[in-house]
This record gives sequence, structure tokens and C-alpha cells, in this order.
Amino acid sequence: MDIEAMKNAQDVRGLIKLLDHEKYDVQWRAADALGSMGEIACDPLLKVLTFPKIHVRIGVIEALGAIASPKSVEPLINTLMTDKNHEVRWVAAVALGEIGDKRAIPPLVASLREEDRYVRYGSARALEQIGWSAETEEDLAYYHIALEDWDAIKKMGKSATTPLTEMLRDEHPPIRERIVRILGSIGDGVGGRSCERILRDPDENVRWCGVLSSQKCGIPPRELPLELSKRVRTGPSAIGAALLNLIFLGCGYDYLGKWWGLIILEIFLLLFLISQLLVGIKVSVMIWAPITAVFAAQTYFMAKREAALAG
Amino acid sequence: MVDLSAKAGQKSTDIEKLTAAKDIPGLIKALHSDDMKMQTEVAKALGSLGPAAMDALILELKKKDKDHNLVIIKALSEIRDPKPVPVLIGMLKDENSEVRWGAAIALGEIGDIQAIEPLVTCLRDHDKYVRYGSAYSLEMLGWKPQNEEERAFLLVGKQEWEAVELLGDSAVPALTNILHDRHSIVRIKAVETLGELKSPSAIPVLMQSLADEDSEVRWKTVLASEKSGIKLMHLPRGLSRRPKKKKNPWIAGFLNFILPGLGYAYLAKWWGVMIYEIDIFVTIWLWQYWGEFSFEALLPIYFVLAVHAYYITVKMPEDPP
Repeated sequence: MDIEAMKNAQDVRGLIKLLDHEKYDVQWRAADALGSMGEIACDPLLKVLTFPKIHVRIGVIEALGAIASPKSVEPLINTLMTDKNHEVRWVAAVALGEIGDKRAIPPLVASLREEDRYVRYGSARALEQIGWSAETEEDLAYYHIALEDWDAIKKMGKSATTPLTEMLRDEHPPIRERIVRILGSIGDGVGGRSCERILRDPDENVRWCGVLSSQKCGIPPRELPLELSKRVRTGPSAIGAALLNLIFLGCGYDYLGKWWGLIILEIFLLLFLISQLLVGIKVSVMIWAPITAVFAAQTYFMAKREAALAG
Repeated sequence: MVDLSAKAGQKSTDIEKLTAAKDIPGLIKALHSDDMKMQTEVAKALGSLGPAAMDALILELKKKDKDHNLVIIKALSEIRDPKPVPVLIGMLKDENSEVRWGAAIALGEIGDIQAIEPLVTCLRDHDKYVRYGSAYSLEMLGWKPQNEEERAFLLVGKQEWEAVELLGDSAVPALTNILHDRHSIVRIKAVETLGELKSPSAIPVLMQSLADEDSEVRWKTVLASEKSGIKLMHLPRGLSRRPKKKKNPWIAGFLNFILPGLGYAYLAKWWGVMIYEIDIFVTIWLWQYWGEFSFEALLPIYFVLAVHAYYITVKMPEDPP
């Protein structure tokens, strides 16, 4: 596969095909070659910008970033806003920075509020490259958060509180923990909604940091236990476990995460079948219903107790 | 004869008796005491018994019993007789990492310089405990690295990251070696240090780490990559090679069709196997209840289950990077 020769022959189609080559290094060398070909590769590349395969889209965007044609700005903005893949959105942000067209600024600023840390980071770096400077304190805060430049955020003080609380929706617990600590050190009244969000975080560490930070934000300790107790419990439902065990003995235990639940189910099904063969369906239901009811009650109390212990 | 074998609360007087009787097997059994002071005393007693005791201890090392071996290795590192050195060097290749770790430390305590070369090799072990023990022992043996690359392996073994940073390019092989460490904390340190080298020679290995299985390692790799001079533009492609837990919708659908419920089990739904069990039971029950029973009647249900499994697999969101 002579990529160099294809490049010299200006074989744009051939090179675009190579973006889907099984070998990783062929993929990126093809993207590199396409990027060095200039305007003539731009239109054919834009045609495959929505190709289903992720690595092809990434290759296309890498090349478009290097070509830096103004024609590709709008399509790339569209990719940044709508593509479902994180890496593709990330590379689109970086490419827009490489192209340096000012039209990309508003969408990039919007992307600073993205859920994905890579897209945020790429957008911040792209904005830097385009020569953007934040117009509002809020944008500046989002920018620093995107770069995970925690010292800079701390220095911003109270003006960073709203963006920080907003970014608590990040899916990585370490980031949320970091944010909560900074909110504590800023010491602004992180009242209301954000406080609730922190104290109800699914991650134990984040909740604990939230408790420590709340004190610094002037939230009285007496309010904490109730808030904390309102968090979403991911634990199993006791009634559900009991009902499952009532109908199919063993299922409820399995639902509660007991490895032996399946074995009990096996034994139950077998015994039920045998009893049905011996005494018929009606009698065996009458025999088994009280037995499974006892187990169901036991399951209910066991689940309740375990939930209480888990805290 | 006093039998000390596994009894707790053995007394020094008993050790004296065993020593006086030259009861080497008895003393070796006594090494298994839970009391650390006792262990040391017994080891000393064995040491005082000379070559016969050493031969017996070396013979014990041939047993394929990890816990026993660790006890003997500890005793040997306290006796400090050079005789077991070749055997201990052999144990640096044991498949158990704790045995390798113990052997590495014992070789340092014994202080025989023929252990140096094998210990230098052990600085490349994939287990961080073994690397740490080997670095410790090499320093005990007064070893000085021949070149910067060896120094890097020593410092990485000791996990002295700031000192590693100062070594520049020559630290790349030592840091590359630990990028496959089992512990993500070690990998994060390796990646961060590679970034601090600010060296283009770190680029190929950092590109590999972009696809690490741990999300925090991947993120730190991005930050480190930029410091090494990789263009940000090239990073998304590297990240996109991260392991994905994407399931195959066709497998899920097919499984659910032939063994209803197991398609869900394949998708890691806890209730998948339950459905499967209940399905079998209900089928047997229907068959028994109605006697002649046409299984074709169940096919549409299986088909619906198959389509459902296929559909939820396709709809599963992509893992966040």
C-alpha cells in the first residue's frame, strides 16, 4: 500500500477508502496524506463526513482540520453539535480550532458545557487557538473547568459557583469530587438545588465531600441527614424481592445478589414439578403457597435489614 | 522430645531443647509460629546449627507450597548464610509474585553479589512489589547503575517519580515497562511521568496508553501526550481504540430465540437466567398438563423475545470515554 504514491497521483478516492483500512497506522497515514492535499480533497471528504464507521469519520475530520478550508466549517460545527460518538465530537472541536474560523466560536463556547470531558477540553483548546477571550465570567469559568485548571477556578471565587454546580452532572466521580471540594473552598452559599445534588450524589465519596463542603458553605449540620437520606438508592426493592420469591422461590434471592438464589430456584422448580406429578396441580399449589409465603416474608425483612446496614 | 509443630505459645526453652537435640525438622516446623519474635529466634537457632540445617532448609524450598516457601525464605534472610543464594536466585522466576518478592528481599539481606545480575533483571518484573523489593536489595548490595537507563529502572522500582523525571529520554524504557501494571494508580504515575519528560520518544507508548482500559489513565494520557508534543488532533483516534463493552445484537437475539432468557443473560441482565429457568419449567408444565403439546405455538413468543434482545442491544448507549 503505497500511500506516498497515491498522494502524488492525487488519488483522493483511493486514500479515502484507506481510511477504512483494517490497520490502524494505514488509517492515520491516509488521513495525514489527505490532509496535505489541500482544497481538492475537501469536497470528497465532506461527502463521507457522516460515514457510519467511527474511525472513518475521525480520519475525515483529521484531514479536514489540516486542509483548513472555510467550506468545512459549517459541516464540522454540525458534527460537533450532533454526532453521537464522543471521539468524533472531540476531534471536530480540535479541527475547528485548527481551521481557526471565527464562525466556530459560539458552538465551541456551547461545547464547553458538554457532558464529555474530552469534548470540553478540545473545545477549550480550540477556542484558545482561534484567539477567543471570554466575554463573561461564566464563560471563563466553564473554560477553566473544561481545561480542568482547578487552581484558576479557585481564584475566580464566587463567580464560578454556578458553572461548577452545573458541571456536577459529569459522569466521572473524581471530577464531581473535585468540584465539590472547590465549592467548599469558595465557601459561597451553595444553597438550594446544588447542595441537594451533591448530597444526593450516587457516589459515596462525592456525598462525603459534599457533607464537608456544606459546612463551609454555611449550611447547618442539622439539615444534612435528611437531605442525604433523600438520595436515589440503587439498592434492590424489598417488596420486589419478596414478590419474586412468593411466585418463584429463589428469584428474589438472586435479585438481592445472592449467588445461591439460582440453586434455590432450581430446587424449588424441581420439587414443584415432582409434587405436581404426585398429587396434581391444585394440591401442590396449596402445599407450596404457604411455604413460599414464609420465605417471601423472610426475604422482605432480610432486604430491609441489608438496606439499613448498607446505609 | 517436645513437639512444637503447630502449637501456639511456644517458649524459648523449647527452642533451646530442640537446638540442643539438633532437631532440625522440629525447628523447621516451629518456624510456622504466628509470633514474629519466635520466628526470628527459631531462625537464629537454625543458623547456629550450621551446614546441616542450611541443607535441610534449602531442601524445604523445593516443596511447591507458597506459604511454606515464604516462611523458609524469611528464615534464610535472617540467617544470612550465602549457601541458598543460587536457589533463591532461581526463585526470582517463581510464578507466584509474593515468592519472587520474598526471594528478592532475602537476596539483599544475605548480601551476596552474585545476586546482582538477576536482581537487575527483576527490576523489569511486571509486579510492583517484586520491582520494589529488587530495588531495595540492589541498594543493600551497593549496586550502582551502569547507565542512565538502568538508573531509571532502579528509580521506577522505588517509585521515585520526581527523580525519574530528571532522567529525560533514558527513562522511557523503564516507564514503558510499567504501563501494563495491574494497578491503574501505577499506570497513571507512569503516564504522568512520561509527560513530564517532555520528550518525543514517549509519543509511541503514550499513543498506546490512550486505549488503556481505565478511564482515568486515558485522561491523564491525553494531558501527558500534549506535553510530549503530540498534536491534540491525533489523540481522538487513539482514544477511539479504547476497549468497548459493546455487545453483539445478533448474538443476543439468537440466544434469546433458541434459549429464551440467555440472550438477556448475555447482556448481563441479572434476570436473564431466571427467565430461562422459568421458561423451561413452564414448557415442561404445559407439556405435562396438556399431554400432546405443539411447541410451534411457542415460536412466536421466542421470536418476540429475540427481537427484543436485539433491539435493546442496538439501543444501548455507548460507554463514555
